[in-house]
Amino acid sequence: MRLFLVLLAASFTGTALSVWWLSGFVPWFLLPDFSFLAIVFAGLFIPGPLGLLAAIPPALFRELTVSAPPWVLFLSSLSLYFLAREVSLRLFLRAESFILSTTAVLLLLESVSMVILALLVGSRSFSALWVLKEGIRVAWTSLIAVPLFMDLSGRWQRVTE
Amino acid sequence: MASFLRKWWRLLAAVVLMIAVTQLFLRPPAALQSVGPVRGYAVAVFRPVYATVDFLKRGVSSLWGGYIALTGVARENEELRREIAGLRETIQSNREDLLENRRLKALLGFSEAIGRRTVGARVVGHDVSPWFQGLFIDVGGEAGVEPGMAVITPGGGVGRIHKVYHGLSEVILLTDGRFAADVIVERSRVRAIAEGTGGGVCSLKYVSPTQDVVAGDRVLFSGFDGSMPKGILLGTVVSAQRPREGLFQHVKVVSAVDFMSVEEVLVVLTRPSIPFRAERP
Repeated sequence: MRLFLVLLAASFTGTALSVWWLSGFVPWFLLPDFSFLAIVFAGLFIPGPLGLLAAIPPALFRELTVSAPPWVLFLSSLSLYFLAREVSLRLFLRAESFILSTTAVLLLLESVSMVILALLVGSRSFSALWVLKEGIRVAWTSLIAVPLFMDLSGRWQRVTE
Repeated sequence: MASFLRKWWRLLAAVVLMIAVTQLFLRPPAALQSVGPVRGYAVAVFRPVYATVDFLKRGVSSLWGGYIALTGVARENEELRREIAGLRETIQSNREDLLENRRLKALLGFSEAIGRRTVGARVVGHDVSPWFQGLFIDVGGEAGVEPGMAVITPGGGVGRIHKVYHGLSEVILLTDGRFAADVIVERSRVRAIAEGTGGGVCSLKYVSPTQDVVAGDRVLFSGFDGSMPKGILLGTVVSAQRPREGLFQHVKVVSAVDFMSVEEVLVVLTRPSIPFRAERP
């Protein structure tokens, strides 16, 4: 329960800070997606229904603060949770490099999916500059994930012990 | 089969959800366009946050400009410094009020000039995702705002309302890939469709190579499609290239409004003549 509340607080605070405060003067590619990190953490480290329960509020925060078609971000976030859960069960290693690469791959996977959907709809084109910025966002968010996940998972282990 | 499902159900769930996402993205059902109770209640948790942040932003801006910036003043004149700080804070505060007053007056005058019922709103947040471009304003369904309504400033168009909550609305910017509207070039009266490109500019579609469009031309909304009010400025043409092959020119238009710095907007409370769907017509 404690970890659920920590994840809820982290994703709420992170989203609130990014969308309502920093978004006016900090470019989007420098703002890490804390709700995304909370969902991936729930998938990687929290087993059972509690993990899914912990992933729902951040998924809802993403749904509310991204101007995508209705429920797209919510469902894609839950899909992300199940992918992270699968990775956790099949390949899990509690190491910095694993966390870094898993987060980066999941971020890229989500980004590529959205780009493909946008291209399918024909709604926008993506420039080389956009790709560069997105690369910075992926790298930055993945780097933040390492200390955050190590710290939180350590606490989670202590709580379960 | 049962053991396969037991082993791989999470992966299957992820795939099924992605298929649902694809379907919702490509063909959003009309039934899901309205804000349901879940999203309506959920967005209420953010209301204290953006209201407080908006209040703090104005307070911090006033405090920074009027007090903190003065910490380098000589220490021996502590009393004087405090007095100056206090006075400057007042001046800064007055200046901020004056600037806000000017902006609001301009909005009011503009609102009267366009001859339609409008409601003023403050920008309280921006969409920070890499794929979409939007912002949030602090009026919602209670003020009569509905999806598809035009959002404008005296400087030019901003976009269209996408989702409406109580006390909050989401605006799709005119540079977002899903935005499209009928426009006219002010000088040569050439008509075209302006579409967001997802970057910082819009492109004009269906401008034939024989039509007269050059860099520097101002582009206005024509109002013919009923989505944006007639005569509102979209932006200025930055490039118009006539391709050797192809039927149409490649025209890029930079928006007249800086979306990062816009603080107040007007929502035109006229229902669009074409029912709004957050996709290209």
